[in-house]
Amino acid sequence: MAANLFPVLKLATKVTIAGGALYVTYDSGLLGGSEQGSEVLGKAKAAIPPAVDEWVKYFGFKLPAFPKIGFSPIEAWNSGVQSSISALSSGPTALGGYTNQGLQYLKDLTK
Amino acid sequence: MSEKELGKKLDRCLADSAVKLGAGLGLGIVFSVVFFKRHTWPVAFGLGMGLGMAYTNCQNDLRAPYLIQRNIKEQ
Repeated sequence: MAANLFPVLKLATKVTIAGGALYVTYDSGLLGGSEQGSEVLGKAKAAIPPAVDEWVKYFGFKLPAFPKIGFSPIEAWNSGVQSSISALSSGPTALGGYTNQGLQYLKDLTK
Repeated sequence: MSEKELGKKLDRCLADSAVKLGAGLGLGIVFSVVFFKRHTWPVAFGLGMGLGMAYTNCQNDLRAPYLIQRNIKEQ
């Protein structure tokens, strides 16, 4: 009787675990629309520092403080895009100027 | 759609993609461990489903202004 029941119990436990995981993701709005998804991400980002603090207290050692990075990738990317586009837009004019200068120099040499 | 609005929509798309990929990965790992004897394909399947859901959400979000809505009169 017990031998017959064990595989059924195992299957039932597995289905409960997997089904529970699926239900939790559905309930927390992870599978919904864009707004819900970004909301959940915001909540998760806000909830990480307290969780990390709790873990550190539980384990009793101090994690090295997260170094403050004074470098913003967004700013770097934006400034990079702007400088490359402005270089591209002023490129032909600058190139023409340099060519003229070079030709002038050569003319001066042959005078 | 103004540029500011477009920027916000793209930000939402990115955040949503991250969430859906993470959820797909997590569920894929759970299913792989519980049902499929730790094979890799359920993880890939979960990631793919997450990516697909994120893509569809983005698509609907970006197409929303161009939908023609029908006015259903209350009877």
